Amino acid sequence: MQVKNSRSSWFERTSQLCRTTSQAALLAIFVAGLPTLATAEIKSGPFAKSIAYAQARIVKIYGAGIGRQEGYATGIIISSDGRILTTQGVFLAGGSIRVVLPNGDRHYALVERRSHPLQAAILKLDSPPDVPAVDTPEYFEITETPAAQKGDWVMGISNAFKVANGSERLSVTLGVVSLRTQLEAKRGASDVDYDQDVLLIDCITSNPGAPGGAVITVDGRLAGMIGKVIESKSTQTRLNYAVPNDLLYKFLIGEPIKSTAPKTYTGGKKAVLGIRLFTLGGRRAPAYIDRVKPGSPAAKAGLRSDDLILSIGGKRVRYASEYKKLLAQLEPGKPVTIIVKRKAKAITIQVTPEAAEK
Amino acid sequence: MSIRVCLASCLTILVSGISFSSGVVRADDKPTAPVTIEVGQDPAAGFLLAPKVFRASVKKVLPSVVIIESFGGVTSTSRKGRIRGISRPGDGPTTGLIVSADGYVVTSTFNFIRQPPVITVVLQDGRQFIAKLMGRDLTRKICILKLEGAKELPVPEFVDTKTVRVGQWSISVGFGYGDQDPAMSAGIISGKNRVSGKAIQTDSNISPANYGGPLIDIEGRVLGVCVPLNPRSQGTGSGVEWYDSGIGFAIPLAGTEKLLAALKAGKTLRKGGLGVNLKPAKDGVGVLKVVPKSPAAKAGIKVGDKLIAINEHKLIDGLQMRSVMGRFYAGDKVKVHLERDGKPMVIDVVLEVVVVPKPKAKRKIKKKATPKKPLSN
Repeated sequence: MQVKNSRSSWFERTSQLCRTTSQAALLAIFVAGLPTLATAEIKSGPFAKSIAYAQARIVKIYGAGIGRQEGYATGIIISSDGRILTTQGVFLAGGSIRVVLPNGDRHYALVERRSHPLQAAILKLDSPPDVPAVDTPEYFEITETPAAQKGDWVMGISNAFKVANGSERLSVTLGVVSLRTQLEAKRGASDVDYDQDVLLIDCITSNPGAPGGAVITVDGRLAGMIGKVIESKSTQTRLNYAVPNDLLYKFLIGEPIKSTAPKTYTGGKKAVLGIRLFTLGGRRAPAYIDRVKPGSPAAKAGLRSDDLILSIGGKRVRYASEYKKLLAQLEPGKPVTIIVKRKAKAITIQVTPEAAEK
Repeated sequence: MSIRVCLASCLTILVSGISFSSGVVRADDKPTAPVTIEVGQDPAAGFLLAPKVFRASVKKVLPSVVIIESFGGVTSTSRKGRIRGISRPGDGPTTGLIVSADGYVVTSTFNFIRQPPVITVVLQDGRQFIAKLMGRDLTRKICILKLEGAKELPVPEFVDTKTVRVGQWSISVGFGYGDQDPAMSAGIISGKNRVSGKAIQTDSNISPANYGGPLIDIEGRVLGVCVPLNPRSQGTGSGVEWYDSGIGFAIPLAGTEKLLAALKAGKTLRKGGLGVNLKPAKDGVGVLKVVPKSPAAKAGIKVGDKLIAINEHKLIDGLQMRSVMGRFYAGDKVKVHLERDGKPMVIDVVLEVVVVPKPKAKRKIKKKATPKKPLSN
């Protein structure tokens, strides 16, 4: 093709250029047609990547069950040397806790540490004496600041109902963060000892086997660990919630987790207001004032008989028994806001408690 | 050859450069998330921005959402008002929604299942009022409170149900968990005109945490008031067993001025009935029995009549008629289209609360097969 004829040279040059351009164009189209990150997401949606990231870092746990309490749960891999975070539970009792990794490998595990305030436990994968320790290079990094705020998309990933076996992927549900709050909780008829913050979510996680599972954000961060099945005393409904990641962080670094229950005042003499409540209704009756002692802080502030105490220091007084509890938290000399109902009005009054005589 | 390669590689770099630079948006700006989401031209990109919109919508309606605190009342409910799905009513605060600036709040009758003698309402601006329970609509499970001495309250925007579309976003808002900050749940509208045309259906979590509170759209406007409902039963507590199940109901308030006026005036609205026992018939429902002294009896409906329609609603069978009758209150006047001896007739009936007289107790020791209870409406 080296011989060039001057008459057809422009034609040849043009056709050569066309061929070049079309070849380049074809190549370009081919390359552009390869799945780029953006195209892959259009096909699989905005959650696929974070779910894939998480599935490699969550395990299935099997142990002993007692009565109605099931013997299986979920766990989160939190280090490269085989440490698993999960909830406290019956399945941890008894000698054999079995962990199934995402690739289907089975290992025994031992409880290394527990946190009573968080109802959580850290397990360590066990291996026979001659076998090297188990490596878990893919794990969740738990961060110090809360990963999710109210309204954010979250996904609950767990082995609810033991649906997944062996190396099968765990179940995923989608929802948003409903609220971060502290709750009065119960389980069946008894109160529950959990007084820390919870991350309430609106996807379903309150199912057997789900506790210990992960709640993640759209960008793969761990927002919390699915907690044990509990009910709210406030609504009497079962809660879908997670223990927030910032509390889990404290557990991991060994920082003590303080109880949030309000404390009775122990700084000296008890506080008195000079109020006697109407007692005929019993402990669970509303806190009606029967008598106000003359000269007492309540009398000086203007509280009267038949006033109904609605709240003290912003905390609602539902019953006469709650009044006693709140009174024990007051400090003599420190003014507190009391709201009472008098006829059809809600009246706000400042009262300064005094120290008890004895 | 080299020119071709050069051109090809230039074009390649150019094209791939375009697809990579089509927009990298991090879900938020916290440090080093393990997964990067590229929004680009993804049509579902709006999905990732939804949380911002959810939060803004809740913020917009929040000044009109109130915390209700009840004091006293019965701790155990009678068998009639028995609640399924939860062991007993919670003792936390409940939620309400301001409907007029002169001090009226709407909420769910569920929140007063204990019949508390003292009800107080706390607004978002901190003002607290003593509230009086005025009227109740027992079919919609809503009621109205009057706040003593309240004025210039912020009223939210209510959405005309005709413009609501199945599949649009909905967010439920409530204070039932006891926090000063409300809980929110996002979902979609699942259906309209549910439960005899009274409610919109959603898969946002609806539960005692938000009964009485608003179900809003993503512009912060009120689609309805969250309530427990069950098409099959009427009790105050029925429908609670479906809490957080993906089946939830809210009562739209736009265009219900007459209803709200009746509730503000203290009226109790109950379901209205005809007082007939039915049997199957072709193209309608046959009258098997007329309950004595019932609205049907007073209006002259007789045994053997075939009921064809009530107002504009054609009757198909007993079950569907129950759903049609669910639209009416006691006191409503309806036109009953029927056929007697082959001749079409229209009878006006004023509906009332129908009490079916209980059959006399049988004292026989031998057990008899009890006859099937006929449908009564």
